Amino acid sequence: MAAASARSGAARYPIRDQIAIVGLGSTEFSRDAGGRSPASLACEASIAAIHDAGLSKADIDGVVGVLEPGAPRANQMAALLELPNVTHHGGPMPVAMFGLIDAMTAIFSGQCDTVLLYYAFTRLPWNSRSAAQDPFRRYVMMGGGTAKPPMPESMDPSAAYTAWASRYIHEFGAKREDFGRIALNMRANALRNPKAVMRTPLSMEQYLAARMIRDPLCMLDMDVPVDGADAFILTTTERAKRMTKNPVVVHAATAGMVGRNDEDQLPSLARHGQHVVVESLRARGELWLDDVDVFFPYDGFSIITLGWIENMGYCKPGGAGRFMQEHWDEKSGRVLIDGRVPMNPHGGSLSEGASRGTGHLREAVTQLRGEAGARQVENARTALIGCGGFFFNSQGAILRRI
Amino acid sequence: MAESVSDAALVERFPWVQIDHDNKHLFRGWLDRRLLIQRCQDCGRFQHPPKPICPACWSSRIEPTPVSGRGVVHLAMFLRQGAPAPGVDYEKGPHPVVTVELEEQPGLRFTSTVVDAPLADIRIGLPVELAWIDRYGAPFPAFRPRAGER
Ligand SMILES: [Zn+2]
Repeated sequence: MAAASARSGAARYPIRDQIAIVGLGSTEFSRDAGGRSPASLACEASIAAIHDAGLSKADIDGVVGVLEPGAPRANQMAALLELPNVTHHGGPMPVAMFGLIDAMTAIFSGQCDTVLLYYAFTRLPWNSRSAAQDPFRRYVMMGGGTAKPPMPESMDPSAAYTAWASRYIHEFGAKREDFGRIALNMRANALRNPKAVMRTPLSMEQYLAARMIRDPLCMLDMDVPVDGADAFILTTTERAKRMTKNPVVVHAATAGMVGRNDEDQLPSLARHGQHVVVESLRARGELWLDDVDVFFPYDGFSIITLGWIENMGYCKPGGAGRFMQEHWDEKSGRVLIDGRVPMNPHGGSLSEGASRGTGHLREAVTQLRGEAGARQVENARTALIGCGGFFFNSQGAILRRI
Repeated sequence: MAESVSDAALVERFPWVQIDHDNKHLFRGWLDRRLLIQRCQDCGRFQHPPKPICPACWSSRIEPTPVSGRGVVHLAMFLRQGAPAPGVDYEKGPHPVVTVELEEQPGLRFTSTVVDAPLADIRIGLPVELAWIDRYGAPFPAFRPRAGER
C-alpha cells in the first residue's frame, strides 16, 4: 500500500510520445443524417481515416470502437470493412479518451501495429421529435441497458451535472453570465467550422433568455445531440515518421477517477475525477500550461468546462467566470487566453455537436497538423485536452507536433 | 413488516426500479416507510447507494440501518422537463430534485424531491426531514422543510 500511494512527481511512463495519430476521418455532423445508420456513418469516417493515412485494409490490425449507443461493435466494424488480419479489438466506454488510451496501449504493447479508432453518434429517441419518429431508433438505448423508465429523481450523469452546477453557484456565487460565456465562446468558434451544427451567432441576451431545462441550467448549457462519426488511425511514432511529414503524437493521456464516483456521493467540487486527471497528466507529461497553444476543455455541460478551466490551473477554484472575462477577445467574441490560446476552436460539443470528446480530439490533431484553415492557431505545437466530466469519465491528453 | 414480502412480490411492488440482492433491503424498508441505509458492522461507516461490501474496509458485514431522514439540502435543481411520474406535472411548474446530506455522516447523501414547500424556499442549506409520499401505489421517501427551521 505504502509504495502504491507514494506516487509523486514523475511517473513511470514509457509510452510518452511513442504513439502517433496518422489518419483522420469525419462525417458532417448534423441534427438529422436522414436515412443513415450509425454503421453507415462509422464506415464513412473510418474509410476516410484509412485513406487519409495512406493505408489499406491489410494494414489495420487493431480495431477500437467506443460503445456509443447504436454504434457498431469492433467485430462488426471489422466485418463491415472486411479487415483481414485483426489481432486486437476492443469496445471501451464513452467518452473519447478511453478509446484513445486503449488504442495507444494496444500498439505500444505489441498487440497490434495500427489501430482504427472510431466513434459513431446517433440521436436517441428522446433527443428530438424527428429522432422519436424514426422507428429504427426505438431500440437504441443509452448504455444498451434495461428498459426500466427513469424517475424524475434520478441522478443519471446528465442531471447530476446540473445538480453540481447548483453547488458551484452556492459555493462561489457564480452568475448565469459565467455559464453563458462558455456557450458564447463555443458558438463564436463554431461560426468558423463548416462541420458544426450550430452556426448562428449567439448573444448573452439570447443565452439569458434561452429555455431552462433543469434550473440552474438552460438549453444552451447542454450539448447538441447529433448524427455523425469520427475516426482516427494510430500507429507507432517511429512508423508515423516514415508515413507522414506531420505526425501528431500523444505526449500523455490518462483517465482519472476517485473512489466515491456515484454521482450524488462525489466528495466535493474540490475533489473529483478532473483533479486526478490533472495530477496524472502532470506526472506523466513534461509539457504544461505555458507550452499549450490550444486548449480543449470538454463542454457536454457548461459546468464541466468551468471545472476544467479551474482544475487545469488556469485560475483558482470559482474563478473561471472572471478568468474568461479577463481573457475575452471582444473582436472575435470568445476566449483567447493571454490573447493567444483559444478554447475549443471547433465550437465544442455545445456548438459543433455532441461527439463526447471526439470533436475535441479531431480538432486538436487538425490544429497541430496546421490544417485548420480559417480556425488555424498560428504555429500550434501543443494541445491540451480535458475530456469528460466529474464522475467516472474524466480524462485528459496532451498532444504535440514533432 | 416487509421482511415477509417475497423477492418476487417486492419486484412487483416496484416495477419502475431495478431491484437486486444488494438494494432489496432499501425497497423493503420503503414498504414500511422506513429509510434503511447500509452500515458497515466492522468500521461503522454508512454508505449509499447500496453495495455488496463496505468500500472503506471491504467488510461484507453490512446491515440495513434506519436513519433519521433528517439532513440538509446539498444539491438542488428544478426540472422543467424530465421523466414522467404520477403527481409530477412539468406543465404546472418545475419539479424540484434535491440531494440531501443526511445528519448521520458527512458526505452521506440521498436524492429525492421536496414536498410541502414553495419552490423559492428550496435551496442549498435548507434543513429537511423525511416525508413519505405515494408513487405508483407504493411509499416513496421525499423530503420537506423541517418545522421551525425554514
Ligand atoms: Zn467498513
